[in-house]
Amino acid sequence: MARLDIKQDLKALNNAIAAENREKFASHNIYVINVMGSPGAGKTTFLENILPELSKHIQVVMIEGDLATRNDALRIEKTGVTALQINTNGGCHLDAKMIENQIQKLNLNSIDLIIIENVGNLVCPASFDLGEDMRMVIVSVAEGEDKPIKYPIAFLEANMVVITKTDLLPYLDVDINVMKKYIADINPEAAVFETTKKDGVYKADEVVEYILEQVRKKKGK
Amino acid sequence: MHETTLMQNLIATVMEAVEKHNVTRVNRVVLSVGKLSNALPDALIFAFEALTQGGILQGAELEIEYLPVIARCRACGREYQADGFPIICPDCESKNFTIISGDEVYIKSIDIDCKKE
Ligand SMILES: Nc1nc2c(ncn2[C@@H]2O[C@H](COP(=O)(O)OP(=O)(O)OP(=O)(O)O)[C@@H](O)[C@H]2O)c(=O)[nH]1
Ligand SMILES: [Mg+2]
Ligand SMILES: [Zn+2]
Repeated sequence: MARLDIKQDLKALNNAIAAENREKFASHNIYVINVMGSPGAGKTTFLENILPELSKHIQVVMIEGDLATRNDALRIEKTGVTALQINTNGGCHLDAKMIENQIQKLNLNSIDLIIIENVGNLVCPASFDLGEDMRMVIVSVAEGEDKPIKYPIAFLEANMVVITKTDLLPYLDVDINVMKKYIADINPEAAVFETTKKDGVYKADEVVEYILEQVRKKKGK
Repeated sequence: MHETTLMQNLIATVMEAVEKHNVTRVNRVVLSVGKLSNALPDALIFAFEALTQGGILQGAELEIEYLPVIARCRACGREYQADGFPIICPDCESKNFTIISGDEVYIKSIDIDCKKE
């Protein structure tokens, strides 16, 4: 019997395609955000509400990941933003190859920002680089204040965290400051924002400013 | 879950080696799994067994070795092993760090029988 040393990284294939995607985005000056969060955290609602404002300033395209439906892409298209749908047919995350297939359909010269809504799942998507510039984690107060320490890997690599549904705080036994402390413990460099829905009006003002600033920084390079 | 994808990649890589080296039998595959990789050992073994039915890999043992999480402190530069969350520098207590290793999944080696040439 012989032992054969292999040392082959099983994520190498995904990482290689992610690197190609990243190069393609860079050569077209496109900023890319990978949005992750549990099912129902409020990812699509957040995006529906910031897209109209973002679109006033820059050209945005959405890529929607979902197990089986086109529901989220249809919701996004109502805002006037183009949304491509990826169905993973049960797969728990998007991978770099799926993104590569979608960007072939786009005219990259006219795009400033691509936002990818990953499959609703706080665990698996964090392990798959897509070629993005920013990792955004969306977590709702209704999930409980301990989620950042129970699912640390997603938060560890996040550049931006959005805490949604703060309008529900009066009805929950959740301390948002504890949640923020847990996030800061794991990743003190992440930019943290809150969104709320009051009297049917969704508020996420500073978020739009922050995203525009990141997009402009990349363009300015 | 994505353990199946990882095992498909593993089998493809092992099969390349099998063809290149005239392998008659694979006895063991040693896999190194970082503690931050989100890959569950039971799910890896289950996927490995399911995907190797009927092939040259059937019956091979999948040995999983764990790799610790190594972080480098951005404040004082120290490299340290992180054994849980939050990750804090043992010297200066800074929570600013870069992960050096611990999220990888890779095939380390395989034990094989070869045809004599
Ligand atoms: N009260 C309140 N409800 C919200 C808020 N944001 C989202 N919701 C509700 O939460 C539910 C889930 O929202 P979605 O935006 O579909 O969540 P998602 O993260 O995109 O879900 P998946 O794509 O299925 O993983 C919907 O019923 C929303 O109306 C908020 O700020 N406040
Ligand atoms: Mg959604
Ligand atoms: Zn230190």
